[in-house]
Parts: sequence; C-alpha cells; structure tokens
Amino acid sequence: MTRLLLLLALLAGGAGASNAQQLLDWSADEIASVGQHGPWPPPPVRDPSNRVSGMPAGILLGEHLFNDLRLSGDGRMSCATCHQAGRDWSDGLAKARGNVELDRRTPTLWNVGYLHWFGWDGAGDSLWAQSIRPLLDPREMNGGPARPATLLRSDAQLACGYGKAFGEKPGIDDEKLLVDTAKALAAFQATLVSPRTSFDDFRDALVAGDRDRAARYPLAAQRGLKLFIGSANCNLCHLGPRFTSGEFGDVGIPFFVRPGEVDTGRHGGLGRLAASPFNLLGKYNDDPTGASARRTRHVQRQHTNFGEFRVPGLRQVGRGGPYMHNGSVLTLEDVVKHYSEVSPDRLHSDGVPVVRPLALSKEQSADLVSFLRTLDTEVPPRPAAPPLCP
Amino acid sequence: MRFVAALLAVVLASPAFADCPLDLGRGTGWVVFSNHYMLAFRSDPLRIETGEPFALVLNVCTKNGKPAELVAVDAQMPEHRHGMNYRPTIVGADNGRYRAEGLVFHMPGRWELTFDVRAGEETERLTHDIILK
Repeated sequence: MTRLLLLLALLAGGAGASNAQQLLDWSADEIASVGQHGPWPPPPVRDPSNRVSGMPAGILLGEHLFNDLRLSGDGRMSCATCHQAGRDWSDGLAKARGNVELDRRTPTLWNVGYLHWFGWDGAGDSLWAQSIRPLLDPREMNGGPARPATLLRSDAQLACGYGKAFGEKPGIDDEKLLVDTAKALAAFQATLVSPRTSFDDFRDALVAGDRDRAARYPLAAQRGLKLFIGSANCNLCHLGPRFTSGEFGDVGIPFFVRPGEVDTGRHGGLGRLAASPFNLLGKYNDDPTGASARRTRHVQRQHTNFGEFRVPGLRQVGRGGPYMHNGSVLTLEDVVKHYSEVSPDRLHSDGVPVVRPLALSKEQSADLVSFLRTLDTEVPPRPAAPPLCP
Repeated sequence: MRFVAALLAVVLASPAFADCPLDLGRGTGWVVFSNHYMLAFRSDPLRIETGEPFALVLNVCTKNGKPAELVAVDAQMPEHRHGMNYRPTIVGADNGRYRAEGLVFHMPGRWELTFDVRAGEETERLTHDIILK
C-alpha cells in the first residue's frame, strides 16, 4: 500500500513537473497581445437600432421565424436551411444553395450580433437589414416583400408572438412587418454566442499569471499562438475577442466567379448599402440618438474596396469550412498554406503588405493549425424553441 | 521631454498664442504646432480602440493672432500606405472648437493623423502619430 501511494505521489509530481515545463516563455508584450483576444464571452448584444434586440419575446419570435419554411416563396426553405444549428450555423457547402447555387459561402452565425458590417461584402449595416436580403432575394428564399406580413397576420401563434414582442397586433403596413420580422430574426441570431474554449482558459490563466493552469494548453498551440500574434501578424486583422476587425481585406483569392464575371466584394457592397431603404440612415432605425449610424454615415467607397471581403471571426473556425468567401479553400491546413504561399504580385500592395507570403515551415504550419483548433469547442444539441403563446 | 516643454513655453510666451486655449491638449490630449499654427486636441472617447469609431475635439490657433480654420482631418498608416475606411466630417462648435466625427482606426500600428488648417489664403498640414497596440 505504501509503495502504491509512493508511486501515485511520484506520478502526480512527475505530471506537475511535466506541466510546468510545458509553458513557453511569454513576454509582457505577448501576454498583452494574447489578453486582447478576451475575455470571453462578451456582454450580450443590445442593438439600439432594433427595439426588440435583447428582449426575450423578440428573441423567441425570431427563433420561430428563423425555422419557418413559409417565409420562402416555395415554402421549402427557411433561414435554418442554410444556417444549420448542427453545422455551426452554416451548411458545410463550398457555395450556398438557395433556389440556385450562389457565388459565396454561407457564413456562420456564431457571434454575428457583435459585427458592425454584415454579409461578405458588408452591404448590410445592421443584422436586421442583412436579414431582409435573403428573404427577398430571388436566388435565395424568394419570399417577396408581403409574405412576412401575411404570415404574421394570418398565423395565430405568430400574431400572438408579434404582439408580445412589439406590443401591438400585426398591422396593415407590409413593409413595416417585413422590417419587424427581420428585427425579430436579428434578435434571435444575436444570441448565438460561441462557448468558451481551451484558448480562453489559457488566455485567462496567462493574464492572471497562473502558470500551472496556463501550462495545460498544448505546446503546439502555444507555438502557433506565438506565430499568430508575432511574425505571422495574423492579429492585424483577426484581432480582439472575436478574432476579427469586422472590416474588409483582399487576401489574394481570385475575383472571378465565371469567365468574364467578377465578384466586386466590398466595392459592390457599399453601393448596395447606399441604395438600401433599410440602412441605418433610413426611417426604420429605432435609435433616436443616431449614434448607431455613425459608421454608415462616414464609410467611404474607395477603389481599393474592389475584391475586398469581410474578415471572418475565427471562433469555431475549425468546425466550419470550406473557407474564404467563396469556399475555394477546403481545409484549415489549406488556409494556412494559402497564407504561407500567397503571391505578392496578386496583392499589389504599395507599402509593407498586410498580407504577404509567410513561408512557414511544415512544423510552423502545423502549430498554427493546432492553435486555431483550440478556438473550437463542442456545442450541445440545441433544444427546440418553446411555444410562442402556450 | 524637457526640450518640448521649453519649446512649448517659448511658443506660449508669444502674445497671440497666449490667448490660445490649450486645455484640450492637457493630460490625455495632444498639442501639435508649427511656425504658424498651434493645434490642441483630444479624442472622444479618450481611449482609442482598434476598430471602434471615435471623434476628435480640436482647437486651432495662429501665431499672428489671425483667425484659423480647420479644413480637414484624415489619417493614414504610412507603412502600409492605406488610409481609413471612413471619411470624418468636421463641425464647428460655438466655443470656437471643432469636432471631427467618424474616425475609425481599423488596424493596430502607427497611424498618422493629418490636420489641414488655414488662416486666410495660407494652408498648412500638421501631422501627429498615434501608435495603436
């Protein structure tokens, strides 16, 4: 018995020593950089441009509408057809499939409520404005502008849910009900916050100076993280707790969608934003201060926006894919390879390029992937939404 | 630091600049000056965060006492040779101050703020660097 206890003590001690050796040296600057990627989760979203944002009744109505096939023209497609809970709120396809195959990938909805530009080209300046687009787009749900209003007025459960969320019965103004539908959809989507990960545990321990807890983080991931915030400069764009600036960049993915046809990205998105009656400068913004429209008021369309796409957040990135705005890169390993070998000629930068070929070794590439995978975590199956008006 | 303080003291000793309110430059603000102009400003909010909109509250004066005007505010990252994705607008306030609204530094690194100031026909560009970590 004594021998057994001694053996256990030695094993425990050995494990402790081994753990202690598994923490790389982190400088004060590196710890500060890592610290900027947290804490996680952030406070819940409250969008002042959406009067039902953060309200339980608005969120519940939004969840029901999100799964409602009747919002599509042929009754066969809901928001959840492409943004599937079991596929990290995307569809696993290289290119989204609505009525037809589209030119871009279905973006995940994880942490979407914290963005300030929506869609790959940022044509939406609020989550609710962005939610209107697929409802109407003939290539996607093709619902038509009156369909949400008809549904809200005719379905007793939805009408009741609308009353609870918006404090009135669905009225006769179809466009207003279209916007309110989108606002409820946005309220629901903004609750989709990805869970904490092993990276978050490491980040918190490192910032707190808890070396033992920090040492539980895999060594390869630590090396990858050092690259991410160091020589690879990934955190120039993939910054903050969500690992994105929320802005746009050209990372060397070809513009052509078909021979002779290009995806103009942010350049086209800004044109659509300015033309939209649903942007934050319009009458449907519920924010009386106007502060929520600051970016929309000041954003400028520049020739450099051509071929730029929104920088995606990286939480749950390893569970997503294919990657890039057009799904042209299949795996996370291929993404790292892309940044390792991207052609500087294609990026035609005048100054020090933000994206440049990293020329990573095989080991460095593997470390970077190891780090990125620590931004993933398993998510329990989502229970069905409770009834709107039991 | 001593040199800057001494230079500021000399500049402030000139009669025209003595009337120039520089309270915006105190503490967390900045003061930029040339042979002809002095500009004091602070950001609102005081801490500039990467990717978050902010405004600048500014006061501009001339050395010879002529009224000065703030014409434009912009910012670039000289190393990367790109500017902001946003175009600030300037509004003059009753107290002689200006407010430049709608700036966003979307990347960490060195940002060069540029201020175009004018007194009569004479225009000049003042600059100030801010390092965002």
